[in-house]
Amino acid sequence: MYKLINSPYTNNPISVLKIADNLCIPLDPNNTDYQAYLKWVDAGNTPLPADEPATGA
Amino acid sequence: MASSINASTSGPGGVITTADNSGILNLQSGGNTVATVNSAGMTTVGTVNVPNTFGFKNRIINGAMVIDQRNSGASGTATVYTVDRWYFDASQSSKGTWGQNLNSVTPPAGFTNYLGFQSSSSYSVGSTDYFGFFQKIEGYNIADLGWGTANGKTITLSFWVYSSLTGTFGGALKNNSANQCYPFTYSISSANTWTQVFITIPAPNTGSTWLTNNSTGILLYLSLGMGSTYSGTAGTWSGNNYASATGATSVVGTNSATWYITGVQLEVGSQATSFDFRSIGTELALCQRYYSKSYDLGTAPGTSTSLGMISNIASTTIIDMGFRYPVNMRTAASFAIYDPNTGTAGNYAYGAAGTSGTWATIAQGSTGFVIRPQAGFGAGNGVYFHYSASAEL
Repeated sequence: MYKLINSPYTNNPISVLKIADNLCIPLDPNNTDYQAYLKWVDAGNTPLPADEPATGA
Repeated sequence: MASSINASTSGPGGVITTADNSGILNLQSGGNTVATVNSAGMTTVGTVNVPNTFGFKNRIINGAMVIDQRNSGASGTATVYTVDRWYFDASQSSKGTWGQNLNSVTPPAGFTNYLGFQSSSSYSVGSTDYFGFFQKIEGYNIADLGWGTANGKTITLSFWVYSSLTGTFGGALKNNSANQCYPFTYSISSANTWTQVFITIPAPNTGSTWLTNNSTGILLYLSLGMGSTYSGTAGTWSGNNYASATGATSVVGTNSATWYITGVQLEVGSQATSFDFRSIGTELALCQRYYSKSYDLGTAPGTSTSLGMISNIASTTIIDMGFRYPVNMRTAASFAIYDPNTGTAGNYAYGAAGTSGTWATIAQGSTGFVIRPQAGFGAGNGVYFHYSASAEL
């Protein structure tokens, strides 16, 4: 399972958290973890939504 | 025929010369030719012992299996990276154990480490099964080979291997799309003895695609057991996805069979040269393009330790903490955060009591990352964490 991570500055996704490994994955098409995430999404899965942005940005 | 200069190893000894007008000169030891000189240059038999290196001669990183950032010498069974840059690949779980210096045999002369595998069953591979170690070589590091062009260069793969089994073993080279593959074989004639292997591989077909950027240029696969689907004819390029040669010995097929390897070198040319020993600092930096951590080199991520941790003192209840990787990574890296007190992945720690907390990502790239520890700490608290980062191919 994955969870989106939003930037506290823009409130747009900047990373994806792979929950099982506590691995923070960049939205970079050359990153093999991100490639695996995209395959997971293509298989019909949906990540958990991002938390509310941290305060104090 | 040829002229020859022979250093005798029998009888009264001395140098024996013979001459003709062929324009060819053989240099011999004990009657065996070790080098031939003609108008085109010099050709040698076996290893050319060249003490110096030629820049980035060996395209394999961590070929001497010295760097083991993830496991620090511990063994495992999972399909993960073992020693740096070497991935254990298996279609079935629990068929064997891998590890740096597994079972503590003496490495070949000149080496201090090896990567080992020991089978844990007598598994009969199915047609689509695969077992082995592989390393992906980044495209930038093979760009000079000219593969896929009319000027493609011949390469030579060499390594030391040791097994409890004898026979013909296999492996393959392939491109990123696995539609250009070169299965190869090598022989081990004496069990439990280090054997040096030399395999010369011609350039692949003109028009084939070999990436020369930060994606996979060449994948080197060393098989421990391969199903027929992924096994092909040795010694020829194929458009099929092969990872070994047909008929190669299956290490996973014999319970407790062992297979060890070190000194892996892939270089330009049709002749193997002496192993390209690099300084530990250089080899580590090459590995850190693909994986790095804040822990000491001999400490596995997730260990409870403060050595190497990243820390700061919060002056308010908000703090952003950035870290720059020791070398620029191949691409934007995935990272994990660890609590230095407990080793727990996913948490940072704060305060004298070392309370765990969660964090948010502010930025991440190929040069570093920034996180924001979440609420819990106060002004004057120490805030600290460890990290590991991966940008593997």
